[in-house]
Amino acid sequence: MIGALLYLRLTSLRNLVVYRVSRMRQPKYLVGTAAAAAYFYFVLLRRSAFPRTPSATALFSGVGTITMTFLCVGFSTLALLRVAYAWISPAEKPGLRFSEAEIAFLFPAPVTRKTLIHFRLLSAQLAILFTSVLMAFLFNRFGYLGGNRAMRAVGWWVILSTFDLHLNGTNLTLARLREKSSAFVAWRVAVVAAIALYLAAVVWLTAAFAKAAPPGDFSSAIGASGFIHALMDSSPLRWLLLPFRIVFGPYFASGFREFGMAMIPALLLLALHYYWVSNTEAPFEEGSIALAEKRAAAKAAALAGESPKIGGSRPRARSGPFPLSPKGPPEIAFLWKNLLSMRSSLLNRRMVLISIWVVFCLSIGLRPLLMARSRGGGADVVSPIVVMFCAMLAVYTLLLGPQVVRQDLRNDLPNADILKTYPLEGWRLAFGELLAPTVILTLSLWLSILVCAVIIDPGGSIGWLTPGVRVTTALCMASAAPFLCFIQLIVPNAIMVLLPGWYQASRSRAGGIEMFGQRLIFGVAQLLVALLAAAPAGCAAVLIIFAAQWVVGAGPAIGLACAAVLTILVGEAAVGLWWLGGRFEKLDLSADIR
Amino acid sequence: MIEVEGLTKRYGAFTAVRGLSFTVRPGEVLGLVGPNGAGKTSTLRCLAGIIPASEGSVRIAGNDLAVDPVAAKRALAFFPDEPRLFDYLTVRQHLAFVARIYGVVHYEDLARSLLAELELVEKADVLPGELSRGMKQKLVIACGLLHSPSVIFFDEPLTGLDPLGIRRMKDSIVRRARDGAAIVLSSHLLHLLEEVCTHVLILKKGDKVAVGTLAEVSTQFSNGEPNVSLEEIFIRATGGSET
Repeated sequence: MIGALLYLRLTSLRNLVVYRVSRMRQPKYLVGTAAAAAYFYFVLLRRSAFPRTPSATALFSGVGTITMTFLCVGFSTLALLRVAYAWISPAEKPGLRFSEAEIAFLFPAPVTRKTLIHFRLLSAQLAILFTSVLMAFLFNRFGYLGGNRAMRAVGWWVILSTFDLHLNGTNLTLARLREKSSAFVAWRVAVVAAIALYLAAVVWLTAAFAKAAPPGDFSSAIGASGFIHALMDSSPLRWLLLPFRIVFGPYFASGFREFGMAMIPALLLLALHYYWVSNTEAPFEEGSIALAEKRAAAKAAALAGESPKIGGSRPRARSGPFPLSPKGPPEIAFLWKNLLSMRSSLLNRRMVLISIWVVFCLSIGLRPLLMARSRGGGADVVSPIVVMFCAMLAVYTLLLGPQVVRQDLRNDLPNADILKTYPLEGWRLAFGELLAPTVILTLSLWLSILVCAVIIDPGGSIGWLTPGVRVTTALCMASAAPFLCFIQLIVPNAIMVLLPGWYQASRSRAGGIEMFGQRLIFGVAQLLVALLAAAPAGCAAVLIIFAAQWVVGAGPAIGLACAAVLTILVGEAAVGLWWLGGRFEKLDLSADIR
Repeated sequence: MIEVEGLTKRYGAFTAVRGLSFTVRPGEVLGLVGPNGAGKTSTLRCLAGIIPASEGSVRIAGNDLAVDPVAAKRALAFFPDEPRLFDYLTVRQHLAFVARIYGVVHYEDLARSLLAELELVEKADVLPGELSRGMKQKLVIACGLLHSPSVIFFDEPLTGLDPLGIRRMKDSIVRRARDGAAIVLSSHLLHLLEEVCTHVLILKKGDKVAVGTLAEVSTQFSNGEPNVSLEEIFIRATGGSET
């Protein structure tokens, strides 16, 4: 039987490869593949060189420790939360992951449940092997983690396989408990309480260690890495984190001997998990069917071009963001509709819970470092971190925001025929569609600007950075923000109307190197347009400030520069909008999406 | 009133519709028929202003679609074969949205009567995902009729409807025509043409094969034989196969 299953997997894989190669005859796939191949070669395969002096080696070793620690803590926390979530909110009928075709062919076939479980594990292995190799390249491209890539790949395989087995075991156990045990809820409460207690113990012990430890040097990666090593070796934590130490052992190993020693307990733990999964008699069929239907529906929605729904929950009817009067500019109707759509797709209960968790974990995770640092010198470490975070948020908002917040023409592509029958000029329709994402991205930018304006206070150490200059600069940046966001949003919408076939293929979330390459090209285009749009405004601002500050002072000079920047950005936005509207009027999806 | 003169639609080197001319007056229902690939959907999409014609002119209620598309579109409604709705807008919110787009100032009373007529009152606050296909179709019709269009286009209006839905759709088309709308519908269903249409336009490979009232077209292809069915006429006119 396993032979037949292997045949199915390998034949499917071969046909997939043949299909992917043959479709490269179309330029959009060929160019996408070339872009992705270039990216993988230059970014992942070519290991970056760094100086091999003793001090540099120590520094990179410190960076490696910090990177690996964050990686392990992040992965472990996610794994724990995922398992906790499975116990807190189990599916109505917990099941294993099969495709609809696998269910149609295998469930009625004369095979045992155990064989089906083996098929599931075998299927997962292909994906795990691929992911392990990719992760080994991705996280070891600078070489500072030590060891070699083969060991890293095996390390990742151990981590991912153990997690996969644990999740399958959890689902099977839940299915069994739901059917057999009258104390199903009590079991769940007990397990969740144990996980919560475990997390609390880890956090409390970490905080206690940070409080008791001697002041360390956190200004360098070496100092921080020393602190992390000492923390991990502290007595209670060492035993409490033992399961994770075993799982991550092969990944952390820096030599062959250490790797071999780490593999023994890791493989034993893996074998225990395998025994647990393969010997849990549970009715997983109905749950698997429900899961397969859900995944098939999500895939169909993605192929139809619908935006991903975070959390996957069903949309709920909600009241509009504001009362929509039948009188007034029709563009506002699009703002109203798209804001309503955003509320449903982004602000669901699961998304809010995830956000709270992220904030909680960040605050808990940073606490020991901040405590130890403040004890060491007493310098303000919070402000630079907050400013850096806000700056990153602003950059991500401008560059990645338009790819994430897509409640505009892109989201309405399936309804393009209906939109085109509306009695509106193309530019007005495009303007209306772009309003909602512009509002969202602008609010994000304004938040960043506000926080930076409040926090950045040199306290007189920089003479020209007076409160007046700070306020003027913040106001100028805030006034330019909506136009920058608007221009940035024109780019992906322009790509959509210019190359709808490409766009439709890339938004379908289909896998493959060529899809990755297409998305990469779109990302580069976004970056280039951002630079091109900002360059004239930036040059004008610099020239005006430089020339005018000697005459009128810094504050008024910034104001003058702002006026020039706004004029240029409004002009760019108007030209882009006019072009986008015209292109949308001429868009013929039936002819273009081929 | 719909006036079409020399309408041609090309996709690259392929001509989907070639030199089509016809007029649909208020109260008339024109059935657009032909084998698969005859150019029915391309014609409808050009008439509704969804795609630009390569050549020729289309006038909707006296407005040239190429010269003043906004005025022309204000007078028309297009109903696609698949109901296209916004996932996150309830039935009532769809109507509010369309009212703002078309500037229907006092739409509430009309919306109420449309919801009642289409039996959607109880579903007014649910999302399209919770509606059956027939109900989605009804919502599309309610949205399309909210601005009281004088020109209506239907693309395969009976697709996916149950028998009761089919009867109601036919009644609705006939009633709109009686109220003075000029209607064009495309369909493969010949019985729909017999029951609803006053005129018929037969297309084949993008060319007009015949146009006129049902009686005129029957006469043209009956070769003097009495009681020739519409199905037989269609087969004689088009050759009966896909193009």
